[in-house]
Amino acid sequence: MADEQKNAESRVHDLLGAVLGLFALGLLVTSPWHVDRSGPDPFYKGPLIFPLLVLILMVGASLPSLWRVLRTRGGTWYLDGQGLPVRSLRVLALLVLFLAGLVYLGLEISTWAFLFAALWTVEQRSVWKLVGIPTLVTLCLYLVFKVFLGVWFPEPVLLEALME
Amino acid sequence: MVEQLAAGFTAAFAPANLVALLFGTVVGIVVGILPGLGPMVGMVVLLPFSFAFTPDVALSLLLGVFCGGYFGGAVPAILMRTPGVPSSLITSFDGYPLTRKGEAQTALSAALLGSFGGGVISLWILVFLAPILAHVAASFGPPEYLTVAVFGVVLVVMAFRDRLAQGLMLLGLGFWISTVGIDGSTLGARFTFGTLIMQNGLHIIPVCLGLFGIGQTLLLVERDILRGREVHLSRSTLDFSKLWLALRYWRTLIRSGVIGTFVGLLPGTGSILASFMSYDAAKRLSKEKERFGKGTPEGCLASEAGNNAVPAGTMIPLLTLGIPGDALSAVLLGVFTINGIYPGPLLLVKEPVLINTLYWSMLLINVAAFAMLVVWLRPFAMIVKVPSRLLAVVIMVISLVGIYAVNTRLFDAGVAVVMGVLGYVLLRLNWPIVNLVMGIVLGEIMENRLRQTLSLGEGSLAILLGRPISMALLGLTVLIIAGPLILDRRRAKKAEKSDFVRRAS
Repeated sequence: MADEQKNAESRVHDLLGAVLGLFALGLLVTSPWHVDRSGPDPFYKGPLIFPLLVLILMVGASLPSLWRVLRTRGGTWYLDGQGLPVRSLRVLALLVLFLAGLVYLGLEISTWAFLFAALWTVEQRSVWKLVGIPTLVTLCLYLVFKVFLGVWFPEPVLLEALME
Repeated sequence: MVEQLAAGFTAAFAPANLVALLFGTVVGIVVGILPGLGPMVGMVVLLPFSFAFTPDVALSLLLGVFCGGYFGGAVPAILMRTPGVPSSLITSFDGYPLTRKGEAQTALSAALLGSFGGGVISLWILVFLAPILAHVAASFGPPEYLTVAVFGVVLVVMAFRDRLAQGLMLLGLGFWISTVGIDGSTLGARFTFGTLIMQNGLHIIPVCLGLFGIGQTLLLVERDILRGREVHLSRSTLDFSKLWLALRYWRTLIRSGVIGTFVGLLPGTGSILASFMSYDAAKRLSKEKERFGKGTPEGCLASEAGNNAVPAGTMIPLLTLGIPGDALSAVLLGVFTINGIYPGPLLLVKEPVLINTLYWSMLLINVAAFAMLVVWLRPFAMIVKVPSRLLAVVIMVISLVGIYAVNTRLFDAGVAVVMGVLGYVLLRLNWPIVNLVMGIVLGEIMENRLRQTLSLGEGSLAILLGRPISMALLGLTVLIIAGPLILDRRRAKKAEKSDFVRRAS
C-alpha cells in the first residue's frame, strides 16, 4: 500500500482533532474557574473573553473530526505510513531521562551519558562517535554555559549523596 | 534620514554585530545545506543565546540564519537533488540535470547569483516600501490593528485551506497557549491550574524550540533524507567565469527578486510559492523555454532569486504592521516583543537606528553568505556527509541545555520536550504547524487589540463598521475566505462532471 494511501485512510488525523477538541471543550467548560475575574473590569474588557473565543473556535473546528471518530468504521491507525517510531520513542525516553539526570547527576555526566546512549540508539556506533562526540559536546557545553555564561545548574543530588 | 542611515551603518559594523551576523550566516548556511534541518531549526536553537545580546545584535544573529539558510539550501538541491530547504526543490529541476551533465559549477553560480540578487533587490523594496506602509498605518487605531491582524491570520489559515479544520484548531491552540499565565491587563492568573510555575506562562522560546528544534530532530533520527552522499565538484571554490556568464540573465534576476518580495509580503504564502512563481515566470518569458527542466542556469537563478527575496518581503508587514508572514518571521516578532519592542508604524519613528541597522545587517548578511559560499563551496558542500542522526541528537541536547539556561528553569526544558512531541506528531501528520506558531506569537497582540476595540465600542464590535479602513479590511477578509472556497467548489464540480462523462463514455 502506498504511503499516501495509508495516510489518507488513517484515522489518526481525526483522533488528534478529536483529542484537541475535547481538550478545548474541557477548558471551555471549566474556564470560569481557571481565569481570575476578580477585577472591576466589565466582561468585554476582562481576561475571559479572548480565551472563550479561541476555545469555541477550537471546539467548532474539531466537530467534524469528533463526528468521524465516533461514526466511521474501518480505516487504519497509521501515523503516516512510515511505521512505528520506535527509534524516536527511545530517543524521547532518553531526553526525559536527560532532564532528570540534570538534577541527579549534573550537566556533565547527564550530557555525556545521554549522547552516548542516544548515538548508540541511532546506530552511530564507531568508537569516535560513541566516545569522542559526547566528550567534545560535553566540554563545549561546560565551557559555554558554566564558564563563559556562568549559568547555574542544579547541584547533582545523587553525586552529593554518594560523596557524603 | 542620512544621519539615521549613518547611525545604522555604524551600528551594523560594530564588532559585536558583525560577529553575530557572520556566525548566524554560517549557522544558516550549514542548516540550509543539511536536508531536514532548515533555517527554522537553526533559529530556534540560537534563540536562547540571543538573550545575552542587545536587540539589534540578536536580530542580526537570527536574520543571518534566516537568510543564510536560503543560500545554503540550493547546494544539496543542485549537487544531489535533495533540497536543503523546501523551496530549493524548484532549483533542483534544472540544477541537478546540469550537475549530471558535469556543469555543477554553472548551476551553482546561477543559484548563488540569484540568491544574492534576490536578497539585495528585496532589501531595496523593503527600504522604500516600509516607510510608505508605515505612513499609511500611522493613522491606525486598535480597531484597524485588530482587523489587520485578523486579515493576516485569515490569509495564513486560507493558505492551508485543504486542511482548514486542522489549521483552525492549531491557530486556536496557539492563541490559548498565549493566554496561559498572568494576564498583563488585570494581573489575574489564567489557566495556571493552581501552580506557581505556570504563572510565568508558556514562553514562546521553549514552545518554538520544542515544536521545531526537538520535533524536527525527533523526525530526523528515524529518517534518512539524503538520496545519495556523493558530491562532485570540479574545484573547491566557485568558478568566477561561470558567475559572469550567469549575469546575462539579469532581467530574470530582477523580475524574480520582485516576484519573491511581493509573495513574501503576503502572510501565509511562503518561499515555495515565491520560488515556483519566479521559476514559472522565467520559463514563460524565456527565449529558451525548452531548456527548462532539462538543465538551464536561468531556472536555478530564477528559483533562488525568488526564495531569497522572501526574508526581506516578510519583513515589510512585520515591521510596519506587526504581522509576521511565516513561522520564521513569527520567531523574529517574538524576539522584538521579548525585548519590549512592538513592531508597527511607530517603530520606524521610534527606533530609526534599529531599523537602519537591520537594513544594513541584511545587506551584509547577503554579501557574507554569497562570499562564504563562493570561497568555501566545497567545505560547505561536504557538510552533507555528516550523518543527520548524529546531528539530531547533538542539536537536541544543545537545545535543552540552552532553553534551561534562559531562565534556569527545568520547567522550560520540560515544556520544550512536551512541545517537541506535539511538533513531531504534527510534522509527521503534515498538519500546518505554522498556524500554531502564528497563534502563539499573535495571541497577545490580538487579545490586547480586541479588548481595546471592545472598550472603544463599549462592548460592541459594531465600531469596526464605522471605520473605513476596518471595513475595507473586513471586506477583503471575507473575499479571501469566500473566493478560494467558491473556486475550489467549482473546480471539484468540474472534475466530478468530467469524471462522470469519462465513465459514461
